[in-house]
Amino acid sequence: MNKRILIFFALLLSAFCLYAQKTIRGKVTDAEGGSPVPNVSVTIKGKSTGTTTDYNGEYAIQITGTNSILVFTTIGYTAREIPVESQHSINVTLTPENTQLSTVVVTALGIRRDQKSIGYAAQQIKGENLTLTKEQNVIGSLDGKIAGAQVTGSSGASLGGTQKIKLRGVNSINGGGQPLMVVDGTPIAQNNFSGDANGVDYGNISQDINPEDIESVNVLKGPAASALYGLRGQYGVILITTKKGARGIKKVDVNLNSAYSIERIGNFMPLQNIYGVGNNQTFLTLANGQKYINGNDESWGPKMDGTPVRMYYSFYPQDPQYGQLTPFVPQPDNLKDYFQTGQNVNNGLSVTGGNENTAFRLSYNNAYIKGTMPNTWLKRNNLGLSSSLNLTSKLSAGVNATYANNDGQRPTQGYQGSFTGAVQWFQRNLDIKRLRDYKYADGTILNWNVNPTSAGIITNNKPSDWNNPFFDAYEVLNNDRRDRIFGDVNVSYQLLPALKLSGFVRSDFYTQNISHKEAFGGRLNEGYAVGKYQNKETNYEFLAQYVKSWSDISVNVNAGSNLLTQHYSQLYQATAGGLSSPANYTIAASVDRPVSTSYSREKQVRSVYAMGSFGYKDTYFLDASIRNDVSSALPANNNSYWYPSLSGSFVFSQLINWRPLSFGKIRAGYAIAGSDLDPYQTSTTYALGGVYPGTTGTINTLTVPDNLKNPNIKPSFANSFEIGTDLRFLNNRLGLEFTYYNQQNKDQIINLSVSGASGFDQTVVNAGLIENKGIELSLTGRPVQSKMFSWDATFNFARNESLIRELYPGINVYQLDVNTYSSVSIYLNSTVDKGFGSLVGQAYRRDPATGKMLLGTDNMPLFETNHDFGSVLPEFTGGFLNNFKIWKFSVGAMISFQKGGQFFSWSKMLAVKSGQAEETAALNDKGVNVREPLANGGGYKITGISQAIGRETEAYVDARAYFRNNIGTRIYEEWLFDASYIKLREVSVGYNLDENLLNKTPFKSARLALITRNPVMIWQKAPKGLDPSELSSGSASISWIEKGELQTVRSYGVNLNLTF
Amino acid sequence: MKKLLSSLYLLLFATVFLGSCKKFSDSINTDPNNPTKASGTQLIANAELFLPGLSSSPYGVHYPQYLSNTSFTDNSRYTTINFNFYNLYTGPLANLENAINAELSANEGPVSNQVAVAKILKAYFFWHMTDRWGPLPFRDALKGKDDFTPAYDSQQSIYNALFALLDEANAGIVTTNGNIKNDIVYGGDINKWKKLGNTIHLLMALRLSKVDPAKGNAEFNKALTNGIMTANADNLAYAHLLEQNNENYWYNSFTRLGRNWFALSKPLVDYMSPLNDPRLPVFGNKNNAGNYVGLEYGKAVPNSNDVNNVSLLGSSLRQQNSPVHLVTYAQALFALAEAAKLGWITGGDATAKTNYDLAVQSSITQWTGSAAAATAFLAQTGVQYNAANAIEQIAYQRWVHLFLHGYEGWAEWRRTGYPVLVAAPGANGDKIPRREAYPTQERANNTGNYNAALTTFPYGGSDDLNARVWWDKP
Repeated sequence: MNKRILIFFALLLSAFCLYAQKTIRGKVTDAEGGSPVPNVSVTIKGKSTGTTTDYNGEYAIQITGTNSILVFTTIGYTAREIPVESQHSINVTLTPENTQLSTVVVTALGIRRDQKSIGYAAQQIKGENLTLTKEQNVIGSLDGKIAGAQVTGSSGASLGGTQKIKLRGVNSINGGGQPLMVVDGTPIAQNNFSGDANGVDYGNISQDINPEDIESVNVLKGPAASALYGLRGQYGVILITTKKGARGIKKVDVNLNSAYSIERIGNFMPLQNIYGVGNNQTFLTLANGQKYINGNDESWGPKMDGTPVRMYYSFYPQDPQYGQLTPFVPQPDNLKDYFQTGQNVNNGLSVTGGNENTAFRLSYNNAYIKGTMPNTWLKRNNLGLSSSLNLTSKLSAGVNATYANNDGQRPTQGYQGSFTGAVQWFQRNLDIKRLRDYKYADGTILNWNVNPTSAGIITNNKPSDWNNPFFDAYEVLNNDRRDRIFGDVNVSYQLLPALKLSGFVRSDFYTQNISHKEAFGGRLNEGYAVGKYQNKETNYEFLAQYVKSWSDISVNVNAGSNLLTQHYSQLYQATAGGLSSPANYTIAASVDRPVSTSYSREKQVRSVYAMGSFGYKDTYFLDASIRNDVSSALPANNNSYWYPSLSGSFVFSQLINWRPLSFGKIRAGYAIAGSDLDPYQTSTTYALGGVYPGTTGTINTLTVPDNLKNPNIKPSFANSFEIGTDLRFLNNRLGLEFTYYNQQNKDQIINLSVSGASGFDQTVVNAGLIENKGIELSLTGRPVQSKMFSWDATFNFARNESLIRELYPGINVYQLDVNTYSSVSIYLNSTVDKGFGSLVGQAYRRDPATGKMLLGTDNMPLFETNHDFGSVLPEFTGGFLNNFKIWKFSVGAMISFQKGGQFFSWSKMLAVKSGQAEETAALNDKGVNVREPLANGGGYKITGISQAIGRETEAYVDARAYFRNNIGTRIYEEWLFDASYIKLREVSVGYNLDENLLNKTPFKSARLALITRNPVMIWQKAPKGLDPSELSSGSASISWIEKGELQTVRSYGVNLNLTF
Repeated sequence: MKKLLSSLYLLLFATVFLGSCKKFSDSINTDPNNPTKASGTQLIANAELFLPGLSSSPYGVHYPQYLSNTSFTDNSRYTTINFNFYNLYTGPLANLENAINAELSANEGPVSNQVAVAKILKAYFFWHMTDRWGPLPFRDALKGKDDFTPAYDSQQSIYNALFALLDEANAGIVTTNGNIKNDIVYGGDINKWKKLGNTIHLLMALRLSKVDPAKGNAEFNKALTNGIMTANADNLAYAHLLEQNNENYWYNSFTRLGRNWFALSKPLVDYMSPLNDPRLPVFGNKNNAGNYVGLEYGKAVPNSNDVNNVSLLGSSLRQQNSPVHLVTYAQALFALAEAAKLGWITGGDATAKTNYDLAVQSSITQWTGSAAAATAFLAQTGVQYNAANAIEQIAYQRWVHLFLHGYEGWAEWRRTGYPVLVAAPGANGDKIPRREAYPTQERANNTGNYNAALTTFPYGGSDDLNARVWWDKP
């Protein structure tokens, strides 16, 4: 190589250094803790190019010239500008504004906005606060963390059961109206395949989101924030933003998360241990004179005093104790002993990385739960990919995709469920362990509730009403499996520095399989049922975004259009009359004509929308939006509707200079959003009825449906107004957000219950006006801040009042739900001029003057029908989230609470009716057991105004007649319970391993945490054994009844998080 | 800036274009899952599926004390007060009303016959209903969106309207080539339908014996002239099938659910057993000791052991395909016997005896499959026709004959006062119910009309089990 060439290269190199780009590298760290800050936006002032810091806070950016200024901005930190000058390495420390008071929020359509410019309440939760204790359902993890969100959960025993959320009260007269769930801009289905309070709780399918993938959750609580979603925006929107990789220097981070918990059953109802099975206290006797017990399922029988009796197993010739007498004794732990310790194993791996032009994140999570009910389990896999690629400096493309897979074998809740009826109808003298081996070698099923003849022979081994619970667990199986993919493919083009055009194809597709096996030998026919349910929603979306600032004016304009298509189909088949070959679980084995149905529906919505936000001097902001939706489910001649919104904010702290106030804003907004309906409800059809395969040929019948369709249906509209203020004091250490709202929901689309004498039970109509008004308060602060100890706290509080202002001409009561047991009904109604959701049923008849109960001639309480017990909705809800940092430990604790609301409990009613509840065998004021004969000083002491003598009286009445035949059957007032509670939901105690220790390991960081979910109910008004926070009742829209909820589960575990 | 504006215009144009597009393909909101056209006979067939439910009821069967409860006695102690009639309106009656008013196809049999059958069934369902609840929405009922709050009509006006409806049906029937398709109960035989309609008419007329004998007499004779049932083969009996979807209610209760909850009541066995009634071995099974023993009716505290010591409902009546008898020839004969005794028809005691003997014989044939035992049974004192207490005798034998058809047996008990029964001890103020209360939903869904109906009870009382219906004149 000759010298000239060398010189040329040297010149070239120096020229490159002088005139071409240079790369600045550095690390961004937290000014307080020194920890790296990821996802910091690093831009060159005045230019559109930039990058973001990676997981370790590191970045690399290319600049030209030496006069550049780097701008470091990120959510939650004060922005910094640093002149490059001659530096090649710039390390930056950022000061947290206050981690709880982020200033950038995600709004409708995924548009990121500075919080000060927004004219409505916007509350954001960070992902790390959702995964404190590895709660699997994102809705469940929101409980108490959002002011104005009421979350109703379900027991962990259901393995991913329903978690329901309502924003700002119930805004739909029929109780429905869930917020729309949107993940990275893609709306995802929220179906729930569960039944009501009876049956298997498969959970709401939004649980397919992997909580570990969530960067943040933003809740748009009402139309003011969600009007841009048009007829999907009436009930608010939950926007989920997932974690992303970062562009920058080539870098890969691997994060491993592993959690293991054990799950224990808790909260047992106190039961009596004195009296055993029977209708009365006399032992039954066989012809040979032996005392025996039969298959009765109430415990009003003789004392369990050790008397030798023939128990159920002694009637099975196969049993080692056949023919033997065994002592009749109580089994105090016969419920507890049924359950097992569950296990929850959760492992996740994520790879995050990027280079100058690409960013990606790949995650995998695997969860395995072994249930607390025998032979129940859930397996779950989540795979997530998010990547983006700069194809040119102006054109970029990306993909976000999530695959979720659930495979479960779950218990049945409610009446006649998987041992959930054991407090309702059972025997206090049954040893559950004796039932565990439910099948004899010859295949005979061991049943506790068979009735031998007086010769002691079982002539019919079919159990009545209840299976052996272990037969249920191992032979009556509920299996479900779901495969799901959702996400988007997107392209965006920076047409002008201020104008970006984007196109998205978004899709959410799932296949849900559900099957049920009923084995031979139980109370029901053996049989098999299988269903396949598929839904596909696709959104084709176009968005233009224009962002520009002039000296005092900032403009942010967005316009877009969307085409939504939904296809849903299902196939369901069930055998009838048994299986032709035992345990051959296939439809073809059906003895009689099987049930076989198919169903499909299709819907399209075309939308266009635009919004503009205008700011002046960073002090005055005005937002306006409009959306037009054309829905195929509405009548063809009237299917297009408009949804506008207007809001504004005024940052008054810009104008006043009062040091303690770091930020102050008032805001107000008004909007209209709506909702429509499922297709095919505008024209009446007939329905296929029963089939009669008679001897002379099969007769197929046809029927007029009981629900009348309506060709004049319109969308429902919600008019919402809200006003509020956001204040921050003392350098953002204390924050307050306060909102008052009033939402009027008009022309609700409901299935109005009408007099069946019209020929129809229900008709779909636009009816009613339901008003919700309330306040939301969110206090955030860092009361203590020091090197060794800091405390961050968020307190949320919301109070809502609802009022039904109108219903339908001539109809003042709308029946939402009804429950009937033993022909006594209780209704959930909405009544004009009252709050939403009143319970109406049988109550004590009381003396109007004194309020004392009236007694009949038999001294039993009299009752009145159709008594209105008031609303089931809580007065207020909230939560208290605490994060402590103590030396290297971090402690998170979440408390949620609810005041008011009520629910009806079958379990308590039937535990009393069946003589199992503790109070049915308590001592009366004479110190004698209430079950003793009245002559012996027994009996339940009742006080009231006697109808016979016309004045107040005290009397002792037969305990069984009182508990079983009176209050346990007729007086539902007794079984309504206040749903107030304060619950410690989650606690996590973590320890971050010292960096010095990690230097010798491949790990960049390591964290070990002890976690517990649902460790303790701090206080509840309802009696022990019921859990007012776990009433989700499957897919029912309002949680007001408990028919045998799955037992409370408490979970304790350890979590390890490693990054390398 | 210019470039920006032009692209914004483009965008605006695109959105306006999209926004104006309100037309979807015509089929998009048409339900692909359900039929849009009616078939008259298929609608009628669906209404027929509801027929056995009028008899197979764990409530009706207790009022005339056919059955007692073994383990759970609540039902026999009248715990249930309010009974829902919505399913009868929205189910069979809505279908029948649709068949009466829709355009029907003559391919399924003469349209006038389809309509006549629908009217007969409509009358039968409404008759059953008004006898249970009294005043009911009738004239304004079944009008869908035209009237979601139908007014209640008095039982008297309902009876009059039903008589007229049955007259219309009888007049509308074409007997030549008159059979219709898709008929579960009579295989389309229009002659049997004609006899059924007139038999219902006849039995309804007898119901007026206490309250309006003149009207009853006139309607009775009209029905008789039009032609009533002439043999057991004419019975309205619902045939259940050997398959789960069409099985007998009591089979479901005893066998499928494994509930030995129903035994013959003591009053029934105590009446039948001394007379060696050949129907008793059909009605009930022997107890463990091999005897027919009735269970004390409506015990306050049941005894689990009872199940071994009493006669459970007879096995042959709770087979999967055991039929349900609803309107029977024997019932018509008992009506004729009573009418003769009342002087509504000629012939006096002689005619009464003839019809009574034939009624008992037909009943025994219906229940046992043979008339062989009838002669000996009828020859016994107490059974043998006795002019002195013929009405009581007829009533008792009719009570036995109507076994399991609780609501009908109850109506005849209310009308005649026989058999003499005692209420479940301590239940419902020691009174046997005389009416069922309206569904509680009506108070909310149809408030004004419901409240108005309560003021029209002919003999006062409130909406409970104790008010009397119009024909049940005290």
